[in-house]
Amino acid sequence: MNSDFMTLIAGVIDWFSQPMNWQGPGSIPEHVLEHVTYVVISTLIGAAIALPIGIGLGHSGRGGLMAINISNIGRAIPAFGVIILVFLLAGFGVIPVIVALVALAIPPMVTNSFVGMREVDPAVRQAAVALGMTGWQRLWQVELPIAMPLIMAGVRTSAVQVMSTATLAAYVGLGGLGRYLIDGLAVRDLSQVLVGAILVAVLAIVTELLLAGVQRLITAKGLQ
Amino acid sequence: MTNESRQRASAEDRDTHDSSAIVFEGVTKRYSDGTVAVETLDLTLPAGELTVLVGPSGCGKTTTLRMINQLETLSEGRLLIGDRDVTSVDATRLRRQIGYVMQHSGLFPHKTIADNIAVVPRLLGWDKTRIRERVAALVELVGLDETLARRYPHQLSGGQQQRVGLARALAADPPILLMDEPFAAVDPIVRTHLQEEFLNLQRRVQKTIVMVTHDIDEAMKLGDRVAIFSQGGKLAQFDTPARLLSAPASEFVVDFIGADRELRRLALERLDSMELDAGLTAPRDEIVARARSYLQQAGSGGIVVLDEQRAPLGWLDWETLKQADDRARIDSLPLKAWRHRLYLHDNLRSALNALISSPGEVMPVLNAQGRYVGVIDQLQLTRRLS
Repeated sequence: MNSDFMTLIAGVIDWFSQPMNWQGPGSIPEHVLEHVTYVVISTLIGAAIALPIGIGLGHSGRGGLMAINISNIGRAIPAFGVIILVFLLAGFGVIPVIVALVALAIPPMVTNSFVGMREVDPAVRQAAVALGMTGWQRLWQVELPIAMPLIMAGVRTSAVQVMSTATLAAYVGLGGLGRYLIDGLAVRDLSQVLVGAILVAVLAIVTELLLAGVQRLITAKGLQ
Repeated sequence: MTNESRQRASAEDRDTHDSSAIVFEGVTKRYSDGTVAVETLDLTLPAGELTVLVGPSGCGKTTTLRMINQLETLSEGRLLIGDRDVTSVDATRLRRQIGYVMQHSGLFPHKTIADNIAVVPRLLGWDKTRIRERVAALVELVGLDETLARRYPHQLSGGQQQRVGLARALAADPPILLMDEPFAAVDPIVRTHLQEEFLNLQRRVQKTIVMVTHDIDEAMKLGDRVAIFSQGGKLAQFDTPARLLSAPASEFVVDFIGADRELRRLALERLDSMELDAGLTAPRDEIVARARSYLQQAGSGGIVVLDEQRAPLGWLDWETLKQADDRARIDSLPLKAWRHRLYLHDNLRSALNALISSPGEVMPVLNAQGRYVGVIDQLQLTRRLS
């Protein structure tokens, strides 16, 4: 058992130190790039759908419960199932993967942005109306800046979830860091599986840190 | 200036003045569930005066206030500011011309104090220099320290936040100011202080102010006129505080003003409106024998002893004088001190309060320099009330 573990670690170190794993087709940079591309595209499309819904409903205060319930049901649907379903409907390609990841990215962003907007103090909301701000001015100058920390928390949750789930792309023959997991399991090369897992974990942490930095930049100083 | 142009100028003055009077004509507010918040209200709030709307909760006073800047719509009737029907004016434009102060300051937590105050000038598109100068002037006007301007609302105390709320409302120098329980959320000591400063401010700016409160004391203290509402949005009486006290229109008004109506009437008058008694006084170097003879002649129970500046030193009563050595100076005797100092600018309610705890039957009254001007006794106060 112990020597198995040592062999495994040695295998991982060996993998990372092979120059051939750092360049050309199937190399670590290539898989990382593929992986990050899936994540960025899916999270951006997800945000483009989820944030207007959550922010719009939160601003008007109507239909929020329904949106949260629907997005919670969305959370219960397994991403793997969606990939297979869309794969069967749309055939081979990157679309099934993106659709599944977008579906995964939407719920946390809808819920958080809705809650963030509703959490704005009613007195502050009322003051904005009473001072003569238009609906758009209230949204951009008052509600959005105050809701920003919660909205960004939703974006971070989505991005990290999508980052770890994007490994599923490899199941339908695409690239990304899932390749190491699938290929490693297929040939019972646990070192390769562990390499994939480590890379996904590191990317998830980097994502979280990067977005935390973005959040600091765009959140008003008075709210930090 | 020719006579004609002078006349025109004064007509214009009157116009701008009158243009901020607020007129309710048969205004009713009914909600979709049938409850009536305000019922056929006819009320004219004069320009340049502070009107307080007061009443028990659910009497429609806040709804009435909020109709003025279209935060609430009217179900029936007309609401005019000057000769403009408010419903014919675009709501956001109207609101930028009307200051609004609320109970919880409603400051924007993500903006600095200076940026909070600058909200309406920015909406109106003022240039940067003008905004900066205006903000600085307002910070001073409401009595805030200028170093607070760069802070955020959560770094300020409740009282300071209310000051910022007031500055924000006054930023674009609106002719009308609406205040919804502006002092309710601060502690009693800060409240009294803010109320007094606010009255001083109003004397300088002379805006048309409408204030809502549930506190009848606050209404009587601040209002040039007070509108008392009863349950169901009916106006019970609209009058000056003095008239409300001396001629209440109904049992409801009497009850609402409270059992201590007489005390409230006392609170509306100041000592300098009374004719004070000269009183019996003696300088501190007077000898006992002479003081005794003064007392016997006047038939008084005691004498006010004054120092060289004519400031009262204490009360010397007959019991003490009787036992003292004839040739002693009276300031060597045990004098009784007053717990309160009473000045000419104090009101009669404070005078009564001071009298109750006074060691003698009279209470000395001082001028602004702290010198003795006369005495007041309970009989004078009672006569004033009848």
